[in-house]
Amino acid sequence: MHFDLHTNPFAIPFTIGCIVMFAVLAYKYVRWIYRLPKSDKRLIRKNLFSSKSWRAVCEAISESLLHRRIFRTNPILGYMHMSLAFGWFLLIVVGFIETVAYMGWTPIPLRGHVFFKFYSRELEHSALWQSVFTNIMDALLLFVLSGVALAWLKRLYSRMMGMRRTTRHVWGDRVALSALWFIFPLRLIAESTTSAIWHNGGFLTGSLGEFIDKTLSFEAIWHLESVSWFIYALALGVFFCAMPFSRYMHIFTEVPLIFLRKYGIKSDVQPKSFDHFQIEACSRCGICIDPCQLQRDAGIDNVQAVYYLRDRRYNMLTAEVADNCLMCGRCAERCPVGVDILQLRQNSRYTLHNSPSFRRYNYLQGVDTSTGSGRVGYFAGCMTLLSPRIMNAMERIFKAANEEVWWADKNGGVCCGRPIKLTGEVDAAQEMVKHNTELFTKHQITTLVTSCPICLKVFKEDYNLPGIEILHHSEYIDRLIQNGRLKVAQNSGKYTYHDPCELGRGCGIYDEPRRIIESIGVLLEPTETRQQALCCGSSIANTAINDEKQLKIATSLGQTLEATGADSIVTACPLCKKAVKRGSRLAVLDLAEIVADNLK
Amino acid sequence: MIDFGFGVNVARAVNMDRNNLDTAHDIFNSLPDLQACIACGSCTATCTAGNLTSFNFRKVHTLVRRGEYKEAYSEMSKCMLCGKCRLVCPRGINTRGVVLTIKKKLGDY
Amino acid sequence: MKVTVIGGGVAGIQTAIALKELGLTPIIIEKNDHLGGKLCGWHKLFPTMTPAEQVLTPLLERVKALGIEVMLSTEVTSIDSDGVQTSQGRIESAATVICSGFDLFDATLKEEYGYGIYDNVITSADLERMMNNGKVALADGTQPHRIAFLHCVGSRDEKVQQRHCSKVCCVTGVKQAIEMRRWFPKSEIYNFYMDIRMFGAGYEEMYRSAQQEHGIQFIRGRISEAAPVLNGKVQIKAEDTLIGRPLKMTVDLLVLLIGMTAGQSNKCWTRCAGITQSDSMFLKPKNMFAGNVCSDAPNIFYAGTVTAPKTIGESLNEANAAAMRVAQYLGRL
Repeated sequence: MHFDLHTNPFAIPFTIGCIVMFAVLAYKYVRWIYRLPKSDKRLIRKNLFSSKSWRAVCEAISESLLHRRIFRTNPILGYMHMSLAFGWFLLIVVGFIETVAYMGWTPIPLRGHVFFKFYSRELEHSALWQSVFTNIMDALLLFVLSGVALAWLKRLYSRMMGMRRTTRHVWGDRVALSALWFIFPLRLIAESTTSAIWHNGGFLTGSLGEFIDKTLSFEAIWHLESVSWFIYALALGVFFCAMPFSRYMHIFTEVPLIFLRKYGIKSDVQPKSFDHFQIEACSRCGICIDPCQLQRDAGIDNVQAVYYLRDRRYNMLTAEVADNCLMCGRCAERCPVGVDILQLRQNSRYTLHNSPSFRRYNYLQGVDTSTGSGRVGYFAGCMTLLSPRIMNAMERIFKAANEEVWWADKNGGVCCGRPIKLTGEVDAAQEMVKHNTELFTKHQITTLVTSCPICLKVFKEDYNLPGIEILHHSEYIDRLIQNGRLKVAQNSGKYTYHDPCELGRGCGIYDEPRRIIESIGVLLEPTETRQQALCCGSSIANTAINDEKQLKIATSLGQTLEATGADSIVTACPLCKKAVKRGSRLAVLDLAEIVADNLK
Repeated sequence: MIDFGFGVNVARAVNMDRNNLDTAHDIFNSLPDLQACIACGSCTATCTAGNLTSFNFRKVHTLVRRGEYKEAYSEMSKCMLCGKCRLVCPRGINTRGVVLTIKKKLGDY
Repeated sequence: MKVTVIGGGVAGIQTAIALKELGLTPIIIEKNDHLGGKLCGWHKLFPTMTPAEQVLTPLLERVKALGIEVMLSTEVTSIDSDGVQTSQGRIESAATVICSGFDLFDATLKEEYGYGIYDNVITSADLERMMNNGKVALADGTQPHRIAFLHCVGSRDEKVQQRHCSKVCCVTGVKQAIEMRRWFPKSEIYNFYMDIRMFGAGYEEMYRSAQQEHGIQFIRGRISEAAPVLNGKVQIKAEDTLIGRPLKMTVDLLVLLIGMTAGQSNKCWTRCAGITQSDSMFLKPKNMFAGNVCSDAPNIFYAGTVTAPKTIGESLNEANAAAMRVAQYLGRL
């Protein structure tokens, strides 16, 4: 008997699908890489043959195949994704080995590998090979099918997998999704029918084949065989055609993304070709929806990372969606693909809102309202100026530590530039960066302390201040306490701490504020804390949200903080302080306040 | 510096019969909160830019609401978007949104 | 028949008096150790400058003369259809009138004005207390030369969830400005306002006399923030909205005209069927016109500022209205 690829043309849809898919993929990837800026290309050349590539391979296996990060979110969800990705991958690999085992190293077309069961039905088999391979393949098919079953279940009971809400899909995704759901059940039917006739199945397809053999007439089985293989090939073809245009583009795209990221390529404040890899690596799994407080507390359901990335990918992004985000980073923290959502959104806003700065800020020239003198500069920040208790506390702390301080903006200063940068007006922000940089340099400070995490982030990220150490007041105070320049008295107060987004997720400062609080009283952590901390809702990154919704978010945060049983809430951001106070009846204090009130 | 409505040579009256209010309505539609302004002036009093230049947020958006769009874009461009005004507004108006919307509707970009 | 009156402020006292006169047996439950509520700390009343005690003393005497039962230092913990539960035990009654009043807005919530941080930022209630004690002075004991009043602190302000107008602060601000002029004839006095709401008889006339006879300056603009300067003075920032330019001023004393916020206890009262809160957190009368003093429960009534900010006169009138409704309900009319 022989291996004949031409007797039955059922595989044509599959072949067309493959051609379309690989052609589109090749076109996209080549174009995106070609359009990368020179500096990015240099990074690729430099790192291609380095250990970074090896590390990328490891990450690709652990993330793209095994989905380690999703396992961390929820084991069942992780298993679902892994069984589909890793199971399918193994089906292809073992299928290839099976072909080679039977046929030797003869080149055969792809369809020969994929539909091997059909084409090989007339081949002479060694009984051992047959039972080993067919049973392995059946086991893998069962593995994938279990994933498909879970995917069906997820549509019905997403909560079982730790997801309160799942993504609302566009129709292209629905087509691809339906095709995907049918591929493996169809494969099971097709292989089982063939097994019913040729008795070449394993424990799964073989048993089902026997059942079919017993229930249906020979003629019916014969017809069912060609029909089922055709529908199976058709499902594959449809899926492959839809794949590069749907969410399933992530299957392949995540791999180059991992490599490029390992090489040190990042998205920037201005859009660039690399963004495509990030955008199309989004699988629209929807894990980002639940952590979003706009969804959870304010009922805004079309702006989450998954919808933003989708809209941007299909060129239907509106300012309403791009601007309506707190940029708190809770979604980025949970994203299993590690898409740099905040930077992408930032550069969408650049596209939407950046306008030339020209002479807009001519009035900044020569502005210097600073007072005092000292090597330590204190930049309160606009928001802190509306919170005199923080100013007052800082003044007492500086005095207690015997620090000579140069006050940059006590009488009103120039904005740090981050608020306008976050709206997308990057050029305008540069004017403020320039102004303040000159101011700090002119007064020859060596340390720059700020009470505002928004300012802190931009000082660290966008200011070039050689010789000036940039500290948040929590770091500064912590240091004063550690080296004995500041002595605080213990009291019996019960405090809870709210991590400001820009300070925690933004600048990675979690421990200093906690150490300060613990040196004064008892610290009680809320359920969602540190990297998972909630946003206060008043983030300056959101220019679309109204007051009522800000209040809803603040109230919900207030409840979470009150649930700790603390007597007062401590935070380290003037904006958070105001917002949290609106949402809670407890006293809301800045770190500086509790320190200044408990000085020995 | 531009001094709205206080020039000696130009017609002083805001002519609500002649002014084209379409853009103003457009702005209201996208930011209904703005209608709630009671002209308390807190925004202007606290304004970081207003501390350094003649920019007056309340006046500019009020003129825009009356259909007086001249110079509104370049005046709004002086705003640093620091957000202090939003923090003090007793009516909870999304003032930064107002700045961006006015610039978008009246700007030439 | 026994009627519980919750709260011994002017509304509660007058309700009890009226009930007694209608032949019922009222009992006043007051959480403080004295009757009189917030009127106790007050100096003079607008628009006639009547000393507060001239209103309060006759009321207290009448309570004594009529032998009305009063429970002091007693807190009501819950209300139900047959009476109230108090910290001193249960009181059964045929009807209940809630006269628990309002709370003064906590000015520390408007941190940008520096109340509790700067020495010479005080509230209107602090000023009344100072006048009552016969000594109005700055923290260091000296006389203020420049005084600013700020209207609408804790009223008409979304940022502190106080949407409503507290109604009485405008006229209080004008009254206190005139009084300050009398204390310090040589001082400069400025009132910063968003709107001046002079709704009652004689109020507008008092406003005019403040301007004309007492030389009070009215600046239309809300102060956005206050900052400390040397010698305990305070620098305030506002926009003079009528000129359209920011305005800065250093003053010796800043008086915050704090508003009326819904009483903390209101939330507790709503656990009783038929009592609901409006958006402003004040209790919601059954009907804004014909049922101003009624709740949705047939034997629970309201009087005074528990339902909205009111003047002393209005509270006294409502007390009589509530007593009438109680008598009607109990078949005494």
